[in-house]
Amino acid sequence: MGKVVSLDNLLASMEARRNGAAPWLGSLLDESREKFASAGLPNRRVEAWRYSDLAKALHETVVLDVQADAPPELTGACVAAFEDGVLDNSLSSYCAMGAQPLRKVLADKDSIAANLIGKINPQHDHPIINLNTALMEEGLVLHVPKGVTLATPLHLRFNWSGVEAQGADGRHLRILIVLEEGAQATIFETHDGSPSFATIVTELSLAANSKLTHVRLENFGAAARQTAATVADIGESALYRAFYFSQGGHFARHEALLKMSGEQSHAEIDAAYLVADKRHCDNTTVFLHAAPNTSSKQTFRGVLAGAGRGVYQGCVQVAQAAQKTDAKQLSRALLLSHKAEIVTKPELEIYADDVKCSHGATAGELDANALFFLRARGIPETEARAMLVEAFLGEALDTIENEGLRELASTRAHLWLARHAGEATHVE
Amino acid sequence: MLEIKDLHVNVFGKEILKGLSLKVPPGEVHAIMGPNGAGKSTTSYTLAGRAGYEVTSGEIDLYGEDITGLSPEERAAKGIFLAFQYPMEIPGVSTMNFLKTAMNAQARTRGEKELDAAQFLRTVRAAAKELNISEEMLKRPLNVGFSGGEKKRNETLQMALLKPKLAILDEMDSGLDIDALKLVAEGVNKLRAPDRSFLVITHYQRLLDYIVPDVIHILSGGKIVMSGDKSLALQLEENGYDAVINQAA
Repeated sequence: MGKVVSLDNLLASMEARRNGAAPWLGSLLDESREKFASAGLPNRRVEAWRYSDLAKALHETVVLDVQADAPPELTGACVAAFEDGVLDNSLSSYCAMGAQPLRKVLADKDSIAANLIGKINPQHDHPIINLNTALMEEGLVLHVPKGVTLATPLHLRFNWSGVEAQGADGRHLRILIVLEEGAQATIFETHDGSPSFATIVTELSLAANSKLTHVRLENFGAAARQTAATVADIGESALYRAFYFSQGGHFARHEALLKMSGEQSHAEIDAAYLVADKRHCDNTTVFLHAAPNTSSKQTFRGVLAGAGRGVYQGCVQVAQAAQKTDAKQLSRALLLSHKAEIVTKPELEIYADDVKCSHGATAGELDANALFFLRARGIPETEARAMLVEAFLGEALDTIENEGLRELASTRAHLWLARHAGEATHVE
Repeated sequence: MLEIKDLHVNVFGKEILKGLSLKVPPGEVHAIMGPNGAGKSTTSYTLAGRAGYEVTSGEIDLYGEDITGLSPEERAAKGIFLAFQYPMEIPGVSTMNFLKTAMNAQARTRGEKELDAAQFLRTVRAAAKELNISEEMLKRPLNVGFSGGEKKRNETLQMALLKPKLAILDEMDSGLDIDALKLVAEGVNKLRAPDRSFLVITHYQRLLDYIVPDVIHILSGGKIVMSGDKSLALQLEENGYDAVINQAA
């Protein structure tokens, strides 16, 4: 049984954490704690959390499930293994690429993190990022020098055994990745099992001409409660290329908060989320185009079965200076059951006058004509449904360039499809 | 052998077929012609078992077995094949994968052995060559970006591979120019066999110049009002549906 996470418990932990912190960190922790204390845990009265009420979810009791699927292994990758929220060096190999534990970096008197943490595309009023900052201890810092291309991906492997709950204040992990000019890296991030409550904030600083490929697979158990954010600053001609896969949890949210701060920078996300049973899955994006000639593309595809609930909030902001911005946003949802639900909220805030911004959102059932066509050729209904769902997802999975990663993502998707895609509660 | 006995069918609560009776012996090609709204498409969808086509009375027998209550996939496995007027485009499903899934699913339902990968490839390549279908077309997503002629050739390929006992061709000539029509008709004619019946549903006589029927039935107001040999089609072409149907009544 998960212990109740309350504001009081969290604030008490922050107090304790503050007392042991390095001097340079003090003001950052104080500021984060104060802001978090005045805002409280996000709930549906806050617009950005209207469809994902974290405060309510944390009050519900959940029975932790001991996870069934083992975390994926990526051959050749350097691993940072977080077991129940703690970096486990015996399972890790991140040193090979020069990464360091956050704990060590935070304890340094003259830390390299001092100019970075909370300063990359700052989110001063984000309740979860403030919470995370005030309580962060575990995590990883990776610095890729100018012009260096990492030959192997870094696998950030978060695994939650579900054996015991993460206490009354949860676990709060912080990842910091800095790509210097022209550097290139691939990050493979996986989440397995059931944290009783975790927040993960990943800060990405991408200097001019750098390229980061980010593949993120959430494969939570039904009881998992996690809210995560990827915060990035994308410099001149730099590229952030991401694929996100998620299947929700008791409460699972991921936010991509990206700032295109240099000219010609580009961000592109393809995402697939598959939500069954009574799970909740929230994908939120805020793309800030701050410089001229920047571009972005986001395509989110959701499949909702059972009483699954999906939320997609996509906000594109174009600053006055960001002329010639080209932003494309598309949300497509497939509802396999009458009890499933999708909330789609596209937002455009445009202050420049010479821009191209498009957005589209669809939600619907499987195409009855296509389904009949397949069945009329002898393909049983369950199989025909799975084929059509797979075809819908295939377009997202095909965007993963790295073959090994594509296979791992496809395997996850196929497992889900085998369990849920044939579900049919529609009356035709 | 298909036998339809006094079939009444409702679509969205409205009776469209009002006592359709028809017999197609093995090896024969029968055509159903009729004016718009006569119930031609309803006939083909009902035979294939589409949801929403509610049989209120009557029976459909295939080789003496009542198939009226079966699902589309069960009917397909029993040997019913519907060539669609407008074949569906299905992005994300490759033509090859679709063919393999369909053939294996039918084999499984009938309790037969599935083809292995090599057998499958050989079979498909041979059949595709006959119909002038390229390897490249087979790799594309099902019917996506296919021309009208390519879609109908693809339907014919499926028919060749699935070897039905009864093939229903629903307005096979829609969207085809004369060259494409000849090619498709040639493909269909090659598939004529003593143990296979065809039901050709068409509005125009033109198709029947290329796929020559043994019997022509005229469907009007949800039932067969007249049957005859192929000269009936010419009569229709000359005088129109109204005149011929009125004469019959």
